[in-house]
Amino acid sequence: MERDTLLGLYDDMWLIRAFEQGLEREFEQGNVPGMLHTGLGQEATQAALAAHLDATDCFFPDHRCHGINALAQHRHRGDGERIMAELFGRSTGVCGGKGGSLHSADPTVGNYGDNAVEGSYMATVLGVALAAQLRGEPKVACAIIGDGTVGRGEFHESLNMAAIWKLPVLYACVNNGYAISMPVGDGHASADIIDLAKGYGFECRQVDGNDIVESHRAVGDAVAHIRAGEGPYFLELKTWRWQGIFAGEFRPAEEVKYWREEHDPILMADEVLESMGVDAAAREAIESAQRARIEEWIAFAKKSPPPDLAKATADVYVGWEVAGR
Amino acid sequence: MSRTSFTKALNDALDIGLERFPEMFLIGEDIGEMGGDFAVTRDLWAKYGADRVRDTPLSEAAIVGTCVGAAVVGMRPVAEIMFADFLGECYDQIVNNAAKLHYMFDGQFTAPLVIRTACGGGFGGGPHHSQSVEGWFLNVPGIVIVAPSNPADAKGLLLASIESDDPVLFLEHKALYRARGEVPEGHFTTPLGTAVVAREGTDITVVATMRMVAMALAAAEELEAEGISVEVVDLRTIRPYDADTVLRSVAKTGRAVVANEAPRIGGLGAELSARIHEECFSDLAAPVGRVDALDAPIPFSVPLEHEILPQPAHVTAAIRTTLEAVR
Ligand SMILES: Cc1ncc(C[n+]2csc(CCOP(=O)(O)OP(=O)(O)O)c2C)c(N)n1
Ligand SMILES: [Mg+2]
Repeated sequence: MERDTLLGLYDDMWLIRAFEQGLEREFEQGNVPGMLHTGLGQEATQAALAAHLDATDCFFPDHRCHGINALAQHRHRGDGERIMAELFGRSTGVCGGKGGSLHSADPTVGNYGDNAVEGSYMATVLGVALAAQLRGEPKVACAIIGDGTVGRGEFHESLNMAAIWKLPVLYACVNNGYAISMPVGDGHASADIIDLAKGYGFECRQVDGNDIVESHRAVGDAVAHIRAGEGPYFLELKTWRWQGIFAGEFRPAEEVKYWREEHDPILMADEVLESMGVDAAAREAIESAQRARIEEWIAFAKKSPPPDLAKATADVYVGWEVAGR
Repeated sequence: MSRTSFTKALNDALDIGLERFPEMFLIGEDIGEMGGDFAVTRDLWAKYGADRVRDTPLSEAAIVGTCVGAAVVGMRPVAEIMFADFLGECYDQIVNNAAKLHYMFDGQFTAPLVIRTACGGGFGGGPHHSQSVEGWFLNVPGIVIVAPSNPADAKGLLLASIESDDPVLFLEHKALYRARGEVPEGHFTTPLGTAVVAREGTDITVVATMRMVAMALAAAEELEAEGISVEVVDLRTIRPYDADTVLRSVAKTGRAVVANEAPRIGGLGAELSARIHEECFSDLAAPVGRVDALDAPIPFSVPLEHEILPQPAHVTAAIRTTLEAVR
């Protein structure tokens, strides 16, 4: 990988990490309502995807995707702060505060919105892909799904239909080892989700999702395959989430140590960059610039007004008004 | 105008829609060469091809999901879910996606899709092929529920549904497929969200949907001989429904019966009755009467099914009871 490409991805990973850590702090202080799931530890998966998906493509983010949402918003429209504002429930958010952490969308940057009913868009993604196929557009429609989400029946309906119609779907399965408390191997017939996908007969691949170089290459190959009209692609990105469950850490200490201290995607990228001659000072400059940016975004969110109450019943229907109180 | 069956009227509407809207396609199980379980899509596959009249495996969630995804990028999909009883399989896609995405994403998306489905009992279909499901969706803001009672409305309402930018659940009562009636030729739409006074009367209002409309009209005919004048309101759209037409009629007659085929608890009859009581209380000479199914699943055996479902005699009886009741 070229040094500049890796530097760009490194920058993106720091944007994601700074975003999530800033958000986590604000959440703990009670400034962010609702629930919080972070993508900490999984930055490479999101940076790799964002690098290859254009604004005219489509991705359905999952509940740990604030990072890719913000990245897409920042890259394509220069207003990543509107993802932060959405999480604060403010009028300036991408959905005017109606969606929040689990329903942030902006189709103009390719973000078709999360579903808090985990993975419902495994079915929806088919339609976006079918429309692209019928219109002859070279669009990639990507569903980002957790390992636990794969337990839903829609997973199989979706892979089957994508296969029979050769749809341009990228399944990006972020296997972080657990669904809340359920270890992946206990919840599925195989701890390698790729084993469940292979039967549908299209291209499948498994990579170390914390290795940004490998993940970036794999997403690139998958996107090229789909754009070439070769049909769907299943990519399993093996990673690990820093966040335990709401009550705290439940995983074995040596596992936590391995993933946080030895297999952290940013530390792994640090090593590669070091070998390319990018020294610690240069890397720290990237980190602090992103942290400063995120503080600005948080400040923007905090000073943004809450939504107008008239919005509470707006946009229920296109063709009808719904009465307010 | 020509005399046409309900099925053919629907088929004509789909044909006209496919002709007019290049972004429209049909999707469902066995709707292609076979023309659908109830022949509603007959000949359309041959005319428009397999891309636009698309057969699928038994994957209801994926069928509706495909519609939602295609609709948000500007297509106009029309799904056929073979039997309404199967809507549980795609309930999440309808309720949590189609109905909510315009709202939860702050108007950035619309979901102009139609889900056609065959509902209702009376043919020995048993517990999983006979249900009236409007109550499953009545509590869902964002969905439009359309329920025609005759061939002309079937055509006009289906074309209006196809052209609507809101997601529509289009209920086709199986007992009506063979009903015949005068249907205007060519393209026309019947506005969604509008009820119609199917028969004018002065003594009592019957608000009915789908198959119950014919029963209400027959009851009105029968009672006319006794000097009782029954007004029949065909609701046509169940959600959002035309409260004005209903309330205006009840304010005029002072008495009302609501008739639908679903079980009583938590259904359309409950909503209409509550609304009429709230808004026409001072006009009412008697409590609102209700005709609906007994509170049980729909059994297979013909006499048992007959016992569960509302019959013409129940409509007549409810009208008489409501006319005799005093405050
Ligand atoms: C259909 C559905 N079932 C259950 C939940 C509750 N839930 C939220 S996150 C989650 C675990 C998801 O696991 P996974 O897909 O592996 O994602 P991760 O949190 O590990 O990134 C569950 C069960 C939900 N939101 N939706
Ligand atoms: Mg997981």
